[in-house]
Amino acid sequence: MERTPEIFEKIEAYLSQSLPKDELLKFEAEIAKNIELQNEIEKHKSLHEVLGDKDTLAFKEKLTDISKKIKEEKTTSSFFSAKWKVAATIIVVVGIGSFLWYTSTVQNKALDLYASYYEPFPVEDVTRGESNTKFKQVIKNYNNQEYSEVIIALENITNLKDEFTLYLGNSYIKTDQEQKAIVQFEKIQKNSKYYENSRWYLALTNLKLGKIKKTISLLEEIIGYNGIYRSSALSLKEALQE
Amino acid sequence: MSNIEDLKILEGIAAGDEGIITRFYKKNLPYIKGYVLQNSGNEQDVEDVFQDALVFVYQKVKTGSLELHSSLRTYFYGVCKNIWRNRLRKNGRQIVTEIILDLETVDPSVIQEIEDKEREHVYRKHFVKLKDTCKEVLSMVFEGKSMKEISAVTGYSEGYTRKKKFECKKSLIEMIEKDPLYKELQQTPEKK
Repeated sequence: MERTPEIFEKIEAYLSQSLPKDELLKFEAEIAKNIELQNEIEKHKSLHEVLGDKDTLAFKEKLTDISKKIKEEKTTSSFFSAKWKVAATIIVVVGIGSFLWYTSTVQNKALDLYASYYEPFPVEDVTRGESNTKFKQVIKNYNNQEYSEVIIALENITNLKDEFTLYLGNSYIKTDQEQKAIVQFEKIQKNSKYYENSRWYLALTNLKLGKIKKTISLLEEIIGYNGIYRSSALSLKEALQE
Repeated sequence: MSNIEDLKILEGIAAGDEGIITRFYKKNLPYIKGYVLQNSGNEQDVEDVFQDALVFVYQKVKTGSLELHSSLRTYFYGVCKNIWRNRLRKNGRQIVTEIILDLETVDPSVIQEIEDKEREHVYRKHFVKLKDTCKEVLSMVFEGKSMKEISAVTGYSEGYTRKKKFECKKSLIEMIEKDPLYKELQQTPEKK
C-alpha cells in the first residue's frame, strides 16, 4: 500500500474519531475489504499508543544520552591515553636520542683528551741498567712499542717491581686491554715512589674508558699529591669540566 | 525492597535522576555485556537489552507494580537475560549460558510482560533515532495535538507541519518495519 499524506490524515482522523460520519462510514467500508489498510491502521494505532507515553519516551531518550556520554568518556579517556602514550614515546625516543648524543659527545671528548694527554710511561734510567737479560729484552720491546711482547714476558710474573708493573699496565693500555691495565695500576701501593705515576695512568685509563667521574676523582687525588703530574692533572680536570 | 540502596536507585530511576541512572548504567553494563556477547550478541544488542530492561523497570516503578523478591541487581539481570533469551528464541538461536536460575528471580507473569513489551522497545528505539524536528512534531502528534496547536509551538505553517508530520511518520514506520526484531514480532501475534 502506497503511503500518502492523504491516507495518513484519514487514518489519524479515524483513530482520533474526528472523521465526519459519512466519511467514517465510507472509510470503514474500505477497511473491511482492505487487509493492507487494516494493517496500516494497526501500525498507526500502536505507534500512537506507545509513543504517546511521553514519560517513558523521555526516559528512553535519557538512557540514549547517558549511553552516548559513557561512550564519549571512554573514547576521550582512551584518546588521551593514546595521546599520552604517543607523548611518552616521543619523550623516550628524544630521551634516548639525547642520551645517545650526549654519551657519544662525552665519549669523543674523553678520547680526544686521552689522546692529547697520554704518553707511555717512559723507561727509567734505573731500569735501563737492568742486568737481567729477560727484563732487558722487555725494556727493549717496550721502547720499540712491541707491547704484546711485553705483556707475554711480564703477565705471569708475580711480585713485579713497580716500574715493570707500570710498563705492563701501559702495554695493556696500548693494546686496548684497559681493565687489565687498571688491575696493574691498582697494585702499586701508596708508599711506592711510583704511586703518583700509577694514579696518573689509572686516571688516563679511566678517561679512555669514558669514566669521567672516576677520572676527575683520580685527578683531584693527583692534584692533592702535588707531584710531577699536578699541572697536567689540573689542566685535564679543567678540560673535562668545560 | 531489598535495601535502602535499591530504594534510592529506584527512586532515581523513577525521577529520571541522571547521576543515579549513569552510576547504575556504568556499574551493571559490564555484566550484561559479558552475558549477551557470550550468547551470540553484539555490542548493539547489549545496549538495546540493557536500555529496554531499564525502561521495563522504569514503567514498573511508575505504575507501582514492581515486586522485588531479591535485590534490584538480581531482578534487573533477570529481566535483561529474559529479554535476550526471547530475542534469541525469535531469531531461532540458542542460548549458550544456562539461565534457569534467573526464572526464580523474575516472576513468570513478569516474563510474559517482558515479552509483550518487545514491540514497544522497537518503536522507541527508532523514534529516538529521528531528527530533532521530527521528534518534536511527532511527539505532539502522538499526544493528540492538532496541526494548529503544533504549528503554534514550532512556528511552522500548518501546511509545512502537515508535510513534516507525514515525512517523519513515514520514515519512522519504515525504520521500524526494517528492524529484524519487528519482523520476528510480526510473525508472533501481539498479546494484549
